[in-house]
Amino acid sequence: MRTYILVWLMLVALTGVAVSVAGMDWGRWSMASALVIAFFKSGLILNYFMHLKDEKGSSLFKWIIPGVLSILILFIGLTFLDVAFR
Amino acid sequence: MKNPQNDTGSKMGMWLFLLSEILLFGGLFILYSVYRFNNPQAFHLAAEALDRPLGTLNTLILLTSSLTMALSISFLKKGGPRRSLLFLSATLFLGLLFLFNKYLEWTWKVHHGIYPDAPRLLEREKGEVLFYGLYYSMTGLHGLHVLAGVLLLSVMFIFILRGNIHRNHFVPLENTGLYWHLVDIIWVFLFPLFYLIT
Repeated sequence: MRTYILVWLMLVALTGVAVSVAGMDWGRWSMASALVIAFFKSGLILNYFMHLKDEKGSSLFKWIIPGVLSILILFIGLTFLDVAFR
Repeated sequence: MKNPQNDTGSKMGMWLFLLSEILLFGGLFILYSVYRFNNPQAFHLAAEALDRPLGTLNTLILLTSSLTMALSISFLKKGGPRRSLLFLSATLFLGLLFLFNKYLEWTWKVHHGIYPDAPRLLEREKGEVLFYGLYYSMTGLHGLHVLAGVLLLSVMFIFILRGNIHRNHFVPLENTGLYWHLVDIIWVFLFPLFYLIT
């Protein structure tokens, strides 16, 4: 229970960081920092609230989740190879 | 009712469903990133009109609802259905609050003549029209997921109350929790992409 509350506090703090960074206008870097924070937050939710870190033994979690994420990254990458160099 | 094989199976099924949800929203995220790449200025202009404090509030609401959801599951496992119900209703309340804020936000936007295919919106630059199209479809699809989550939470509430779900049979509540947390994760990405553009 203490872990849950600590994780929640971190999530709230990270939201605060994201909002204040957006207010400071870092140009290109504000987009990057917002995404890094979002990935970090979803990592916390996945590992602690959804107990992904306790499921390491199962092959589903070992292969399929990284598989789906790589498909998504591949799609985004291939799309931008087209869009960015037109 | 304790059947470890069934429990593992239903949890795996839930995860597979969640992964398909990630790909569903993933497609929309790709669409968003391409349009934003092509219209950076218009996206910046259009996003400034969004209510950042309300978006932040909704982020905090969903994050807190994830905490109460996790606590509800952990209390049920420890054999405290009363506390579990208490935190489940807190989750339910926060979900409804999120939807209520979304309703207010959309009403204001519609009131100002900004909704898909609105004459006042179509007068603006193409990029801004695209931004609001994505805004309505992505937050709308997410809102539908929250609504489905709220319905699911209500069903779980009744099941716990009736004793169909208890400390030795809690997988349905756990799976509902997984779904609720995923909906939260999707919002964690939607929030910076729409409200925090600088």
